[in-house]
Amino acid sequence: MDRADVGALVQSAVDGDAAAWKALVEGLSPLVWSVVRAHRLSDADAHEVYQTVWFRFAQHLGRIREPEKTGSWLASTARHECLKVLKSLRRLTPTDDPQVLDRISEDRTPEQSFLDLEEAAADRERIRHLWQEFEELGERCRLLLRVLMASPPPSYQEVSAALGIAVGSIGPLRQRCLRRLRARLEARGAA
Amino acid sequence: MDDMSDINGEDPDDIEDPDDTDDLGFDLLEEELRQAAGILDPVPAELRQIAVEAFALHDLDARIAELTFDSVVDAIPVRGAVDVPRMLTFHAGGVTVDVELTAQGLMGQVLPPQSARIEVLRGPQAGAPLTTDDMGRFTYGEPPAGPFALRLRTGEGVLVTDWLTA
Repeated sequence: MDRADVGALVQSAVDGDAAAWKALVEGLSPLVWSVVRAHRLSDADAHEVYQTVWFRFAQHLGRIREPEKTGSWLASTARHECLKVLKSLRRLTPTDDPQVLDRISEDRTPEQSFLDLEEAAADRERIRHLWQEFEELGERCRLLLRVLMASPPPSYQEVSAALGIAVGSIGPLRQRCLRRLRARLEARGAA
Repeated sequence: MDDMSDINGEDPDDIEDPDDTDDLGFDLLEEELRQAAGILDPVPAELRQIAVEAFALHDLDARIAELTFDSVVDAIPVRGAVDVPRMLTFHAGGVTVDVELTAQGLMGQVLPPQSARIEVLRGPQAGAPLTTDDMGRFTYGEPPAGPFALRLRTGEGVLVTDWLTA
């Protein structure tokens, strides 16, 4: 989301404008979700952390020093909460977390209807392969790309806050990771 | 052969020209990933709705009691110990709230000792009401799971602790 817009929406929300709050949720939810998913929590933990982040944001609304940097604030809060959950002892028991790919077969999301369309079969295959190759990338690339693919695309400041890495290292790392992903897709196509 | 050392050190995955800076191609690939994420791993609708409703938690009159100690990050892990309580400390002005989370529930104390009414919040809805004893101590018999915060009404006003994930 555009920083100036975010700053203005935060100000309106502070003044009690529920529609502005909703617009913030719509615009920044995918970023928060991407950060949480990038950290590979179980589904249950991912849902809880996402909620904690928004509850904390609602609580701190009006107290955030640089409202235009709300995206970075949310990304950083999500990251810290993810790391904490991963660290907490009771979470050491491995949970049965179904692979994201399995969800294609579940009849739940509105996107499912799109995937069911006959004419979308080729797209479906392509997306499935892309996702599979993405999931098999190394840890660092998977983390970075999962955050970068938030919609709308996050700023590098937000990515930096989400991953705790310097802004300057994002560009080169991104190229490296996308190059690897492309190589994997090409190798797959050739096989 | 010294000039080959870089190549030998290359990751086997990087089979393409390492000088490849095909920006447009990378942008397109990233955009495809964005589409894929929107289809295969979107924000669950029910979560989005919870975030919309969280606006009700916006309360400029309440003071925030900041988390200043969390045994998950600030304490040395106890090797082999099972079910170690999680210790949390919150501060707001002169008030301290100490909380212990166990599998049995939640125990805590408001310091300096004072009576207070406390709600255990799990979301924007009203939480379970508790009252402290004269020493500021309180217990809650249900182990919190997921997001939670405490709302305290003391003689000096309303305090809400930082939200965290139990």
